[in-house]
Amino acid sequence: MAYKVVVVEDNRDALDKIVHLLRKSPDFEVVATYQNERAALGQAGMFQPNLFFINVNNESMLNAMSAFVDTFSGAYILGTLEHWDPFIAEKVSVAGATGCILKPFSAGDILEYVQLYSIRGQHKPAKLITFFSPKGRAGRTTLAALLSLLIADKTGERVALIDADLQFGDLPMFFDLAPKRTLVDATQDIKLLAPLTLAPYFYPVKEGVTLLSSPERPEYAELVAPESLIEVIMMAKNIFRYVIVDLPAGFNPLSLNVCRIADVVFITTMINSGFEVNHAKKTMEMFDSQADERRKVHTVFTRVNPFTEEQRQKIADQLGYPVDVMIPNEYRMISVANSGRLAQGLPDDTLLMKTISAMAEKIIDAGR
Amino acid sequence: MAVATQSGIERSSVIISVFSTTPGIGKTITAINLSAGLAHEGYKVCLADLDLQFGDVLNYLKLTSVNTVAGAQRAMLDHPDKFRVSDFLTEYKHADVKFSILPAPLYIYDAYQTDVQIVTNIINDLNYFDYVIIDLNSMFSALNLAMLDISTIINYIGVIDFLPALKNYKIGYDTLILFEYEESKIRLVENRADSQKLIEGGDVERLLGEPFYHKLPNDYPSVKKSINTGQPLMFAAPDSKLTKSFDELVGLYTNRQRTVLPEEKVTTNKGGFFSGIKKFFGF
Repeated sequence: MAYKVVVVEDNRDALDKIVHLLRKSPDFEVVATYQNERAALGQAGMFQPNLFFINVNNESMLNAMSAFVDTFSGAYILGTLEHWDPFIAEKVSVAGATGCILKPFSAGDILEYVQLYSIRGQHKPAKLITFFSPKGRAGRTTLAALLSLLIADKTGERVALIDADLQFGDLPMFFDLAPKRTLVDATQDIKLLAPLTLAPYFYPVKEGVTLLSSPERPEYAELVAPESLIEVIMMAKNIFRYVIVDLPAGFNPLSLNVCRIADVVFITTMINSGFEVNHAKKTMEMFDSQADERRKVHTVFTRVNPFTEEQRQKIADQLGYPVDVMIPNEYRMISVANSGRLAQGLPDDTLLMKTISAMAEKIIDAGR
Repeated sequence: MAVATQSGIERSSVIISVFSTTPGIGKTITAINLSAGLAHEGYKVCLADLDLQFGDVLNYLKLTSVNTVAGAQRAMLDHPDKFRVSDFLTEYKHADVKFSILPAPLYIYDAYQTDVQIVTNIINDLNYFDYVIIDLNSMFSALNLAMLDISTIINYIGVIDFLPALKNYKIGYDTLILFEYEESKIRLVENRADSQKLIEGGDVERLLGEPFYHKLPNDYPSVKKSINTGQPLMFAAPDSKLTKSFDELVGLYTNRQRTVLPEEKVTTNKGGFFSGIKKFFGF
């Protein structure tokens, strides 16, 4: 069955080009074309279309995206873009549309984009979750990895893990992967990429979870420009419903920039000497001093022992902030990560997995 | 030994930086116990805490001070002519052992504002000490590279209990060699060497192509006691095997004939990778 296509495009030339290419393909049947969004919203329903191309470089068409989503709820609604624009793409996503496609495109591209955006999950903005730790060795990477696996498993939606611990990223090792392309390639190529061409930089870890790897060597870290990393992350939000970023330890331009655009920041701390709580406090104060209205920074303490509410209160008192998440110790974790078998996870009935599972549920609920 | 440095000072003090590529593996404990051990031998020692954002030297010694690297930087900028580094040092003293400490900034904001060249100048001003021990953090930042450049010895420490930690130790060592630090200057020190683990020390040495210079045993109870009492191991756990092992390491570092060759030059890397990474990290 061919898609019944409606094209909404104010530029005559562009409209002709799109219609021409669609007519050559047996997969598409152009049922109507419009040069303004009001006409399309009023009339297109008569043709029962299931695929829209709407020029979102045109501001009033962009603003009408949510009206298209409401009026044609079962249809794929694609915004067409002259050049990739992360902010327009974000607006399209917030409107609940299928996604954006870069002009010029071929019939094959359309099918691939529809496929890419369908497996992504619900047509809602992606959630960007970052893992920050003051000094490192906090269980940050392990937690990010397990959470990704659980979210993908529970939602059936696509999850991206980005290893932005540029000098000493451990995620490829946790999953026993040796990717040929890393963040160095993705950030250097980003100006030439669109969601469809960025997707292959992510390597499958397990059903629904893919990894964009850290550079192979610490000296390559300087090849990753913080502003390009932001562009990669923003584009990844079009391909994935959840984008989870593992950051390098401490405050640096990279970690601060990524946290600035994040929906949730987890400040991850493991208590050893006891002074780690002070470091977490300093970190929270630093984030507080530059906070917007949303409370998006959450505290996570790993390997909490004893794993009790009393202990939670004790930490909270020293911290001066609530302890949002407590993760228990699990000795088996080390050997699992050591053998590159993190993707297999641990038995669901362990306290560790139950706790992280509850954390995943909360994140999913907040994104619904 | 006297070595001409970038700023033209004849440096006579031995600078030992304590560096690793994995956090939380005992850098600060090592730095403190090296300082205490060297002071115990009668040397004038200063311990500089350059883990600027989250330094623990004062925490582990139960000391507080408002004088830090941040204050020293401000003073050096405001009144370079009147600047005296000794105004910003804090003293650790117990029994016959005393050494000076240049503490890390109290606030992250101050740590973030730290300038690599000014810190280098401050460390240069510590030249009147016999030994300057520098506690760093676990990455190749502009500051850490500048400190490794001016160091006589890089005490490169690792705990090899976890595969990613081994990977980071090996990659870190290769990177140090790549940056053209002399192999003789890099001292491989294994911490928690005798703990139960999956990876054998001998395999690690084969992988690195270098033997460990020294191995510190695993002794968590003594370390815990040291942190809880705010005292170096020689006071908190005088008879422990870890205390003895640190004493041996101090012995290695005080035998100047063996460890510091007279013709050994301090490298001063300018430009190249160094300036690139400086731009990237912004501090």
